[in-house]
Amino acid sequence: MKYSLVLIALLSVTSFAADKKEDATQVTIVCSTSNCVKQTEITNPVAKSKVKKKLSPKKEDVLDTRHNLLINVIGQGVAPANTSSPAQAYALAKRAAVADAYRLIAEKVKGVRIDGQDLIKNMMVKRSTIRTSVQAMVRNANIIETTFKEGLCEVEMEITLSRNQFPQ
Amino acid sequence: MRSRDGDYSFTQSISSIISLLLCSSVIFADEYIISYRYSVKNATLYSETLYVSKAMKKCMGRPYDTLLLESQKSEILKEILLANQDKFIEFLYKIGLSVRYYEETLNGKNDSSTILTLPSKCFKVDFNDSFVRIAPLK
Repeated sequence: MKYSLVLIALLSVTSFAADKKEDATQVTIVCSTSNCVKQTEITNPVAKSKVKKKLSPKKEDVLDTRHNLLINVIGQGVAPANTSSPAQAYALAKRAAVADAYRLIAEKVKGVRIDGQDLIKNMMVKRSTIRTSVQAMVRNANIIETTFKEGLCEVEMEITLSRNQFPQ
Repeated sequence: MRSRDGDYSFTQSISSIISLLLCSSVIFADEYIISYRYSVKNATLYSETLYVSKAMKKCMGRPYDTLLLESQKSEILKEILLANQDKFIEFLYKIGLSVRYYEETLNGKNDSSTILTLPSKCFKVDFNDSFVRIAPLK
């Protein structure tokens, strides 16, 4: 009697483990990009519905007539080596950080132009060049917060975009 | 129109003074061309320039935003702007600056430069005893 109870318990534990294993092998997610959401390959129909709910595509930020779009960036800048006072270092680092924040806003709103060139000679890379450039006009950007720590200045800036700012 | 206390001449003189002041502020407002540019290389401020010049011909447009700065009894606009640099530059951020950014990565070595520019813009400037009012024209 005792041995039969132990046997039943063992059998139930092994069947439970087998069920778990089956689920795990049937759901296969193949990731080609870094954010493992785009491509999925699911064989188990029960698990399929569960996974579908989780992996629904993320809604992208789109500028529509009803809502404004808030863009928030953090620019970084450092003070030059030869400054006469900590106050001057702070002021100069802040300028650099604001310029970086402006660049980030322009990158987000207007986009970046990227040119790349590789020179290969005798099956070897001799020169590899990547050039990126941004050009934009930024209005009504606001400084939210400025922090200065160990020579690095960080400026948080935000800009609100509304549909009527752009020509229709 | 008579005032409530019946002192008609006093009311008239006050109104004429106010109208004269308003007219004088319009007449004596100067127009200046201001441009500002600074460049940042590899996250460090490289150069900063502020150009201020009196407009040689009348500017068109209306003032749309104003900034009040303490003049400390100076009549030279560039001196006033340099004395209140932080306030003025924050004002420029609001007006809008042109951003140009270049980055080059050559064999893994990275160089970047950012240039912020306020293109030459006409400003209406009112000098008063202790402060100056600056407004860009649109």
